Amino acid sequence: MSAVPAVTTAAPGAPVVDLDLADLRRDPYPAYAELRRTAPLAWVPSVGRHLLTRYEDIVLAEKLPEVFSSREEGSLLLRTVGPNMLREDDPNHRRLRSAAEPPTRPRQVRDLWAGAFERTAHELLDRIAGRGEADLMADFAEPLVAANLALVLGLRDASAEDVANWSRAMMAGNSNYADDPDIWLRAERATRAIEDAVARAAEAARREPDGSVISSMVHAAGPVDLAEIQNNVKVIIGGGVNEPRDVFGVGAWALLNRPEVRERVLKEPSSWKRVFEETARWVSPIGMYPRQLTQDHEIAGLTLPAGSRVALVIASGNRDESVFERADEFDLDRPHRPHLAFGGGPHFCMGAWVARHEVSAIAWPLVFGRLKGLRLAEGATASDSGSAAGRLDGWVFRGPTSLNVTWQAA
Amino acid sequence: MPTVIFQLPDGTERKVTAASGTVLMQAAVSNGVQGIVAECGGNASCATCHVYVDAAQSELAGGPNDVEDEMLDFTAAERRPTSRLSCQVQLSDALDGLVVHVPEEQV
Repeated sequence: MSAVPAVTTAAPGAPVVDLDLADLRRDPYPAYAELRRTAPLAWVPSVGRHLLTRYEDIVLAEKLPEVFSSREEGSLLLRTVGPNMLREDDPNHRRLRSAAEPPTRPRQVRDLWAGAFERTAHELLDRIAGRGEADLMADFAEPLVAANLALVLGLRDASAEDVANWSRAMMAGNSNYADDPDIWLRAERATRAIEDAVARAAEAARREPDGSVISSMVHAAGPVDLAEIQNNVKVIIGGGVNEPRDVFGVGAWALLNRPEVRERVLKEPSSWKRVFEETARWVSPIGMYPRQLTQDHEIAGLTLPAGSRVALVIASGNRDESVFERADEFDLDRPHRPHLAFGGGPHFCMGAWVARHEVSAIAWPLVFGRLKGLRLAEGATASDSGSAAGRLDGWVFRGPTSLNVTWQAA
Repeated sequence: MPTVIFQLPDGTERKVTAASGTVLMQAAVSNGVQGIVAECGGNASCATCHVYVDAAQSELAGGPNDVEDEMLDFTAAERRPTSRLSCQVQLSDALDGLVVHVPEEQV
């Protein structure tokens, strides 16, 4: 745990802003816009943290991991999965990350995994192509990214459905700010199941290395014990399903609502990369992550005492009008500014290259290429702003709950 | 204290002095040089601190290590023979006067 005990109250002088968690889940963006304007560092009692909401302040915080520590006391993630690299600082974070990272590097993704990703995408589309209708989240995106994740992790005997269910249970725990006991129970069952699956996979990889994350951790130069592999696989399962799934869904939804943009992208396949980055900026699949201060520090005009709890609200930074003009709009042609959706600093998303490839090089092009006349099912069109109530849900993690579409079945 | 010069895509240049032993990316970021994004903070995981070393000094600056070589295949701007990730270029007095060109795009 952190050397400095957590301070679970507002910093002296910090504005206190009451935000309703249900409102935030439905649509956090109006509240974020108000915070950026009036209280860029605000204590929010329902979250138990200071929310840091402006782009530049978030970037500054990310560049100071020795001040904004990832070792947060009372972290929901620690409670859900146990000690893990996401809630560690260097050098321990670096030891674990170095052990796990090689299979997620871009060349490995291209040479080792891309072929299987593509086969799985085709199989899933084969299953639904004749139907002429589907929920692209449940019937395609989630099973695709879950199967891909099982492969990259090296969970040989886990099905895509197992991985998706585990992920959902842990993500619910990790955002269980309402402290619902049923959610904790489900998360515990999932983590026990993952521990068993990882123990079996690690044993197999010890005998026969297979290039997977578990294999890489088993054979790492620096020692990594089984419990560390288990806990870090839990964290990766948590993020590795919902983030690429939700980027897929939001981006597909954005294009289905914008036929002229869709036509353009289909004519210029290289622009799928732009679609990915703009989608991740527009509706970031991870909305915020917590940090705890190791020392007194001034930011956004306030001095936070050591131990203060802060949430870096990257979803808000990505809608900061001072950085992104007409930030609420989905715009492939916006001037190029780096978004914050993958986080920054030593914790920069380890799955970034996997997600980019499986979504922008495989999932979107195949779905839009194979399903002729693809359109949103009647009644499935939510507000075009991307921030109104509708089919998007969540603020810690945010994405479409469903994406019902139709097409001309062959 | 070596001095390095960043040539920016808009034609302007930034001269920055940094301590020997620090990395080029850090020299850029701590001096607010535009165009060096460095999302991952220097861990060679993001390829957003890409620079082109001036051709005449390429040998002096040395070539990429294995991990860097891999990441350089995935930069937003085209890879060239003089491409480096600035987070992997360690500054020393021998590199005093180094000129690097910042590409148009990093992400």
